[in-house]
Amino acid sequence: MTVAEESTPVAPPVDPRRRRLLIGGAAAVAATAAGIAWFERSRASSQDGSAVLALVLPDVDGREQPLAQWRGKVLIVNFWATWCAPCREEMPQFIAVQKREGPNGVQFVGIAVDQADKVRDFTKEIGLNYPALIGGLGAIELSKALGNDLAALPFTIVLDRAGRVAHTQLGPLKTAQLDALLKDLLHAAA
Amino acid sequence: MLALPPGTSPTAYAAGVPGLTAKLLPPEQAFRFSARALDATTLEARFDVADGYYLYRDKLHFTVEPIAARPVELPAGKRKHDEFFGDVETYRGQVVVRLPLAEASGGRTLTVHADSQGCADVGVCYPPNPQQLKLVVPAAGAVPGAYVEAAPARWFK
Repeated sequence: MTVAEESTPVAPPVDPRRRRLLIGGAAAVAATAAGIAWFERSRASSQDGSAVLALVLPDVDGREQPLAQWRGKVLIVNFWATWCAPCREEMPQFIAVQKREGPNGVQFVGIAVDQADKVRDFTKEIGLNYPALIGGLGAIELSKALGNDLAALPFTIVLDRAGRVAHTQLGPLKTAQLDALLKDLLHAAA
Repeated sequence: MLALPPGTSPTAYAAGVPGLTAKLLPPEQAFRFSARALDATTLEARFDVADGYYLYRDKLHFTVEPIAARPVELPAGKRKHDEFFGDVETYRGQVVVRLPLAEASGGRTLTVHADSQGCADVGVCYPPNPQQLKLVVPAAGAVPGAYVEAAPARWFK
């Protein structure tokens, strides 16, 4: 059982597009069974990380970076901003884990709800060793579409090597929590 | 609006920290913006910050239309050291700010815009949050107007 399943006891909200796909692909969702069936299937759809892997965002140098280039890795996508103190506080931990677990197939990607110049200065200052992509304020809407209903930061989505959402997190990821999650995901893939 | 199964919280998906999302307020409830006219040349803007939340003083800005507000003096906040931004000031509880108008505006309807940005002590921050409200300025000599609350923030329309 993954951490996401443990910490997500009820069905996620599903945006209208996803819901259409869901209903289109699940003709068996009859009105009478809608409660249970919807619950199960929307859980299944929440495990699909293709919306994350479909993202293409510029890095601090303006180069477009498709997230699909990291398909097959344990991908940790962290929405953050320089104006968000709790975001900045957890990033040194991410740098350490990227360094330690990068060779084992872990890839962090930051999506900054921020301006490129501020991101560039900050990432230099802390010696960021993973890509910082620039999402601007629009990235907040993007994170909402991916489950960040309160539009708050930090917000982190972890995909397993198969591209399924293994965990979503609003608020800081504690070191022990991240270690346990990665142990699970890296072990599962081995 | 999507119909969710009974008992389903619409915010449950993001609850990576068990219960954190459910406990957090949307920003327009965490930082309630209201304003009133004190007299024909003075408005009063107010933020009611919920317990466990704070606003940054240097991210708080007000503008008034179509009659401009003269330069605004924000009250002193509580000093806090931020390792990236240096010393910053924050507001908790109630923040009241006087907005002097550039000219007497009795009887006019004015729009007050507020830009704010704040965080929750549990370790999340909300993006810059533009809010606005309309109020009618009482005629000269009348009693202060009632507080008007802001409409829901743009992110939540």
